[in-house]
Amino acid sequence: MSDTSKPAQGFRLDALMPGEGQIHRLSALATLLLLVAGFSIASPAFFSVNNALTVLLQTSVIGLLGIGMTMVILTGGIDLSVGSVLALSGVVSGLAVKAGVPVAPGMALGIVTGAACGAFNGFVITKLRITPFVATLGMMLIARGLALQVTGAVPVSGLGEGFGTLGNGAPFRIVHMKPNGFPQVLFPGIPYPAILLLVMAVAGAYLLRRRQLGRHIYATGSNEEAARLSGVRVDRVKLYAYTITGALAGLAGNVLMSRLVTAQPSEGMLSELDAIAAAVIGGASLMGGVGTISGTMIGAFIIGTLRNGLNMAGVSAFIQQIMIGLVVIGAVWIDQMRNRR
Amino acid sequence: MSQPLVEMIDVEKHFGGVRAVDHVSLDLCAGEVVGVLGHNGAGKSCLMRMLSGAMVPSGGEIRIGGEAVQMTSPNDARDRGIETIYQTLALADHLDAPANLFLGRELKTRFGNLDDTRMLREARTVLARLNPNFKNLRDPVSSLSGGQRQVIAIARAIYFDTKILIMDEPTAALGPSETAMVADLIRQLRDEGIGIFLVSHDMHDVFDLCDRVVVMNKGRLVGAHRIDEVTKDDVLSLIIKGELPADWSARNLAPAL
Repeated sequence: MSDTSKPAQGFRLDALMPGEGQIHRLSALATLLLLVAGFSIASPAFFSVNNALTVLLQTSVIGLLGIGMTMVILTGGIDLSVGSVLALSGVVSGLAVKAGVPVAPGMALGIVTGAACGAFNGFVITKLRITPFVATLGMMLIARGLALQVTGAVPVSGLGEGFGTLGNGAPFRIVHMKPNGFPQVLFPGIPYPAILLLVMAVAGAYLLRRRQLGRHIYATGSNEEAARLSGVRVDRVKLYAYTITGALAGLAGNVLMSRLVTAQPSEGMLSELDAIAAAVIGGASLMGGVGTISGTMIGAFIIGTLRNGLNMAGVSAFIQQIMIGLVVIGAVWIDQMRNRR
Repeated sequence: MSQPLVEMIDVEKHFGGVRAVDHVSLDLCAGEVVGVLGHNGAGKSCLMRMLSGAMVPSGGEIRIGGEAVQMTSPNDARDRGIETIYQTLALADHLDAPANLFLGRELKTRFGNLDDTRMLREARTVLARLNPNFKNLRDPVSSLSGGQRQVIAIARAIYFDTKILIMDEPTAALGPSETAMVADLIRQLRDEGIGIFLVSHDMHDVFDLCDRVVVMNKGRLVGAHRIDEVTKDDVLSLIIKGELPADWSARNLAPAL
């Protein structure tokens, strides 16, 4: 055996070295910090508490979608429907609230709709044996069509202040009353979407690392046949993964529509691609079995920071797209170079 | 002989019009090693997959410990103490050794979380028994040597309360010393009263380890003999032609000179 000659000390050193996945995440984190540093120099307004919170707010939707996308990609699949499911869920919540349902149950209804779309994806993939790409492409059209149909392609507005709380509220807001009677905002508060993103990211990482389902998600993506022979109920694992992704897309939809205080049936176009890009930049492999929530979060923030920073630097939206595209290709290229060694 | 551990009676498997396994009956007793031989595509892997629950028979009956069973998933077979070492090893490459060892049967803490500490400890114990040099347990198994991967697959089959072990080409990826280790292990497990099906192409291994051989040809069982009744040439004849040499008589009886 090759390892008999290996000295015990070598083993110890190995244990101290960061693993391959960690290296990727560290390099992604370094990229993120470089971006922040670069944009701070380019535009003094970038590095401020207010702007940081704006980035947090803008990234929360990509982040929520990215958590679900990571799980699906880990199983070796893909979910192209999250953008449309986001819109459908938001629209369902909006219509429910408009019809007089209180905000919390109304939003829950939207999230359930998202989960149902995800479960349908899982059903089509595992029972009808249709590849994830095609199955979720179908759902992408179905969900978008439904959202447009039920609203007549007209945004649902006049939803009341309660509907806007989730997207616009910010606890821990510190306001100081100045002697002249005008309030002064010392700290604008942490937006609810950011808190939600943190909670969901921690919950997702916990699920993947510490629970049996998470272990089975990795095993399914790593070697589906081996997982099946080892007694993993592969179909059920996939069904759960797609359902969770659908529910998270529903949650993201509610966050987004709440921020706009309007249910827009055409929202979230192409946001599935942002979510995939976030996961891939964060080190997830589309072949399955490789990826982490923390990596995807870094990926989401790289995209969010890039958008925000380029906006502040006055770069056009078209150039932004080009740059994000290059970042995606670059991230995967660097990863492949590293693996080929 | 007491109640056989496994009885397969008239088992069949069709794929469309193709009869992969055609009315095969065989049995296996505790503390016995039965070699399963045949060409590639003779149906031996298919037969074994039905016993390990990875494939559902089209007809016939499988009895475990005298009781007729319907096994529709690998879990059903595992619950009855049937473990399989697949030729492909069936390992999830991105997971480490303990995760693979306990895949599908993870140890959990009281709160239902994965108990990685305990799984690592148990894995270290069982792997050390098979290969004392196995130290890099936390590495993904894709980075391990063929021998180490094989050891994980074997450890996974013997760690749990195994009664029946199916080994599909267990030594195909191994060097000479590891092959000897597997042979020792097979004898040790047999002495513990485990019934073993050994699927192999290696005639030497088969004659060295097995108590009986069964030979399959084109989906049919063409011979089932005690190992001392046949010679290697007899078995080769069964594998290739599907029948014994014309002048054959049991070799352990007084030779008809």
